[in-house]
Amino acid sequence: MVNVHPMDEGYAGFCRDESRTQGSAASISFPVSEDEVRALMRQMSAAGTPVTVQGTRTGLAAGAVPAGGHVMNLAHMDRVLGMRVAPGPDGAAVFCVRLQPGVVLANLRKYLADKSMPTAGWDAESLQTWGELCEGTEQIFPTDPTEASATLGGIVACNASGARSYRYGPARPHIRALRVVLASGETLALERGARVARGRGAERTLALETEQGRRMDLALPSYEMPRTKNASGYYIEDGMDAVDLFVGSDGTLGVVTEIEVELVSAPAVVWAVSCFFTAESQALDFVVAARPELGCALAFEYFDGAALGILRHQKAAGAGFASLPDVDPAAAACVFVELGCADESEALAALERVAALIARVGGSEDATWVARTDVDRERLRFFRHAVPESVNMLIDERRRTDPAITKLGSDMAVPDDRLHDVMALYRETLAEAGLESATWGHIGNNHLHVNVLPRNAADHARGKELFCCWARAVTDMGGAVSAEHGVGKIKRDFLAVMYGEGHLREMARLKCQLDPQGLLGRGNLFSAELLDEERAACAAAAGEKGCALDAAAAGSPAGASPHAAGEVA
Amino acid sequence: MHVVVCVKAVPSTTEVRMDTVTHTIVRDGRQAVINPFDTAALELALRIKDAAGEKGAPAEPVSVSVLSMGIPDTERLLRDALSRGADAAVLLSDRAFAGADTLATSYALACGLAQMPPADLVLCGKMAVDGDTAQIGPEIAGALGVPCVTDVRELAEVGAGRVRVWRGCEGGTELAEAPLPAVLTVAKEAADLRMPSIAGVRFGERARVRVLDAPAAGADPARCGLAGSPTQVVRSFVPQRTSVAVRVEGTVAEQAAQVADLIEGMTL
Repeated sequence: MVNVHPMDEGYAGFCRDESRTQGSAASISFPVSEDEVRALMRQMSAAGTPVTVQGTRTGLAAGAVPAGGHVMNLAHMDRVLGMRVAPGPDGAAVFCVRLQPGVVLANLRKYLADKSMPTAGWDAESLQTWGELCEGTEQIFPTDPTEASATLGGIVACNASGARSYRYGPARPHIRALRVVLASGETLALERGARVARGRGAERTLALETEQGRRMDLALPSYEMPRTKNASGYYIEDGMDAVDLFVGSDGTLGVVTEIEVELVSAPAVVWAVSCFFTAESQALDFVVAARPELGCALAFEYFDGAALGILRHQKAAGAGFASLPDVDPAAAACVFVELGCADESEALAALERVAALIARVGGSEDATWVARTDVDRERLRFFRHAVPESVNMLIDERRRTDPAITKLGSDMAVPDDRLHDVMALYRETLAEAGLESATWGHIGNNHLHVNVLPRNAADHARGKELFCCWARAVTDMGGAVSAEHGVGKIKRDFLAVMYGEGHLREMARLKCQLDPQGLLGRGNLFSAELLDEERAACAAAAGEKGCALDAAAAGSPAGASPHAAGEVA
Repeated sequence: MHVVVCVKAVPSTTEVRMDTVTHTIVRDGRQAVINPFDTAALELALRIKDAAGEKGAPAEPVSVSVLSMGIPDTERLLRDALSRGADAAVLLSDRAFAGADTLATSYALACGLAQMPPADLVLCGKMAVDGDTAQIGPEIAGALGVPCVTDVRELAEVGAGRVRVWRGCEGGTELAEAPLPAVLTVAKEAADLRMPSIAGVRFGERARVRVLDAPAAGADPARCGLAGSPTQVVRSFVPQRTSVAVRVEGTVAEQAAQVADLIEGMTL
């Protein structure tokens, strides 16, 4: 039995996330098991109540912010369920961990690093596998978003990545299996390799079967995804795996109740080096030259001169950054490179290659910080996190005089050969618009967070226009409008720019096949209006074809009507 | 001016392993780091060197050496100090030094100092995070017969045959002055150790670390290691953690009631 609480003042925080978007809802629940999720979904479905699924609300695209209806918070589904060994992508055996979606990333990391896992209730195979893991080399879950307090469910929902996605890719390839509760309360058990799409292009279909025996032959959208880091809309590809459809679906297709992740062996030696340059062009040239030559690189991260300047300013103002090393005032750009090597001699050789690359682009190996110890690695980690934090502090200062001001941060990525082009675009258009900015991010993936720092409401409006302009230009370059944050609610206009309305409607139609009432994650990826238009079209088509779509699909969700609090059996 | 910084390898975690027979810390080099107080001392030494290298500074050049007593793997930490700006390194390593208390350690370090160019200033961390004695600096000063200023928070002036520092005292800091040569023990908050550059790492890896055994250091075996340690450790143990976490759930009011119950149930 799970309690459904009215959304009173005590739960106000559950209507916001890290994007600082404010939503609203009538009720909230905290299920602890898949059975409870199923019972809740059946009740919400019967009442036509929209459901927004959320974890620890660290997202930056408002995907977890409710647009009315019910909030289903999965943070209490935080058990690690078991382990097994299975063949990995290259055939070699890999460790796999089954988790509930509310497990927090930082906790999973700690369990693995300390080799101390909460194994109560595990079966014999899981316990034996855990014993084998403890005897072997260190294992990690490689996805490393900035917010380690994110839940695994949230990471799956937006296909999160982070600095090390340069080496390991985003979360998607590390997700081995999912259990999903559909809006109807039915369940899907999806394991990578078991179900793949058939057909090509516009003829692509994906056959699914619920554990309750209902078969679905999903018509998939016809678009081609950009060949870049990408978290924009549904993953669609010829021969795609069913697991991949649900990873990155922004909580719109089903409620993920169980996740199996694949682990990778940690590099034996991890060193990092921050390389400071006197010109941004040197930094870009360095990255372009280094990518093919530094095979052991785990990450390339970037901080521009403005970001370094703001950090310098906040440090001088005593904003809690006193322990940070001083950045040379001559530094106009910084590239952080993380190296993962088999031993120290390999790491030393890699460091020499970094030195040679720096010299090749006109930099100086003296203008570097090398982290080889835990203390130094922690200082560089603090430095990287202090940059966005110091910018947020600056924005907070400005909000005191104009509360309407918010930071505008981009999340776009382009192919490797367009790095210089996209940076030129950013610089030229920012200068033309007279806007202040600070830029940092995952330059190894040509994925930079350009942050417009408005001084007033007019700057804010100009910044938003600029983002739409960038979305068009980045799409023309073959890039993605959201590379890691997901689309959620605040980037759906960019998704329309990237794929066009026709493809957006194809996405909505795909959702309607799994969620005919349009209840899950309303407002994510596409507007409720567009979704409802497609729902109506789907329902009409189903009627003509005698298709077995739920008759309730024709009705409108009770988005605005409060759902009564109580208990669900 | 020659500045010598004494550094000690300490475990990187508080979960140290103890030798059940000798009651001394097992130092197998795994995950050892430079004692954090010593890193502050090293940074102060490097700042003295930097200041001497600045334009308009007095002509006297400053060299910084690091000195340690430890197992052979300690050389790795000395190379790290070299990578950050130290010019030379000496390691006292011999089984004869093993099991030393602070008296035997300070004796060995004084022997090591005698094998190096004369030091104008010896810097130590105020204390080590594993032993927590804060005795090494004052004992070295005693062995050398030079003054010692403890708990240094900030260097005010060095040169012209004297050193002036701000040191911790009850209720704040006070200015202290000592003639050179002198020994200073440095507080952790005095400075954050700089990071090495690639050029520094290369220098540290290629530099020679001079390793001295007890005879080479001119040390009397009877005054070294366990043999030279009057301290008798009767018993040592790692405190056991007994705390447990209780999860509080429900609405704010329900959680508050549960917390109140927990507090009531505690024996304070």
